[in-house]
Amino acid sequence: MNFIKELSKGIVKENPIFVIVLGLCPTLAVTTSVDNGLGMGLAATFVLICSNIIISLIKDITPVKIRIPIYIVVIAAFVSIVDMAMAAYVPGLHKALGLFIPLIVVNCIILGRAEAFASKNSMMDSLADGIGMGLGFTLSLVIIASIREILGNGTWLKIAVMPKTYEPMLVAILAPGAFITLGFLMALMNMMKEKK
Amino acid sequence: MKYYIKLSLILLVFCAVASGILAYVNSLTEPVIRDRKAKEEIATRSELIPEADFTEAKFADGSLYYIATSTATKDTLGYTFIAAQNGYSGKVQTMVGVDNNLQVIKIKVIDQSETPGLGANCTGDAFQAQFAGLGEADMLVDKDGGKIKSLSGATITTRTIANSIAAQIAALKSARGGR
Repeated sequence: MNFIKELSKGIVKENPIFVIVLGLCPTLAVTTSVDNGLGMGLAATFVLICSNIIISLIKDITPVKIRIPIYIVVIAAFVSIVDMAMAAYVPGLHKALGLFIPLIVVNCIILGRAEAFASKNSMMDSLADGIGMGLGFTLSLVIIASIREILGNGTWLKIAVMPKTYEPMLVAILAPGAFITLGFLMALMNMMKEKK
Repeated sequence: MKYYIKLSLILLVFCAVASGILAYVNSLTEPVIRDRKAKEEIATRSELIPEADFTEAKFADGSLYYIATSTATKDTLGYTFIAAQNGYSGKVQTMVGVDNNLQVIKIKVIDQSETPGLGANCTGDAFQAQFAGLGEADMLVDKDGGKIKSLSGATITTRTIANSIAAQIAALKSARGGR
């Protein structure tokens, strides 16, 4: 029961981007196209799940005063392992996701969940939290990226969806478009919340 | 005081374990990665100049380029080299094949970390195809009065690739004795 609850909260109620507003830097940077958003989301989810598990396992031997550097060491080590292993054994996937891997180290959702959740909860709950937050993050990225790619490029997952006469709104895939889209989506989320 | 020493020691242990694991994983994966990169390079070379054998040669600065000779007739077909310069967010590496007149036959961006959706589009076929037939003097982006159409939102990336290729062609020219 608890497992499901921890898992589902990340998707809407505590959505890492729209509600907790964490990890905005990669969010703004990679949502220029849907495949990039999806790649970043899935890679971050994987690292989030692994780091949540390890941090919840070592929480009893981690002194409170130096917990942050320890979390960073764990996360950075994990990301490097994933990077090297992918480059060596699944080069196709590494080519597609390789760009995002160094970005994951500085993704504050991962450090944020380590600090706010995994360091205080059991391994199973942390696992659920990692999956939920990761899915919420991926979903949010895909939504933002869909809007930006359709408006800015006239395509969705590289497939043309707009009529031929549509003149792409270039600003949507440039940096200002990311801020504008994110702002409107957050406003929409808040509006829906207030109505309830 | 004793408390702080204890904290430092704990952190040291964590870092030591982490670096130990990383060193081990690296020792396993590094040869595999290097092997794969070398294989990819060979494959890319024969994609740029097909049906050719390649012989190693050195630029003045010691970096390598390859002389392509036809497998059938043993005539020199051209050269391939890697052009690299810093782009918008890191090194952009392009493998270039040129013919005997130092006109580009084909280019292929082999490594880049440019902005996804903008500069990263430099790996697209349409973008790379427009370099075919250009020489050293033509390596100019449209914004600078040249013929190369820059990627939308990524003039810096486009300029980087053009400049790096122009520089390598110039180096190749001097390696051939100014011809």
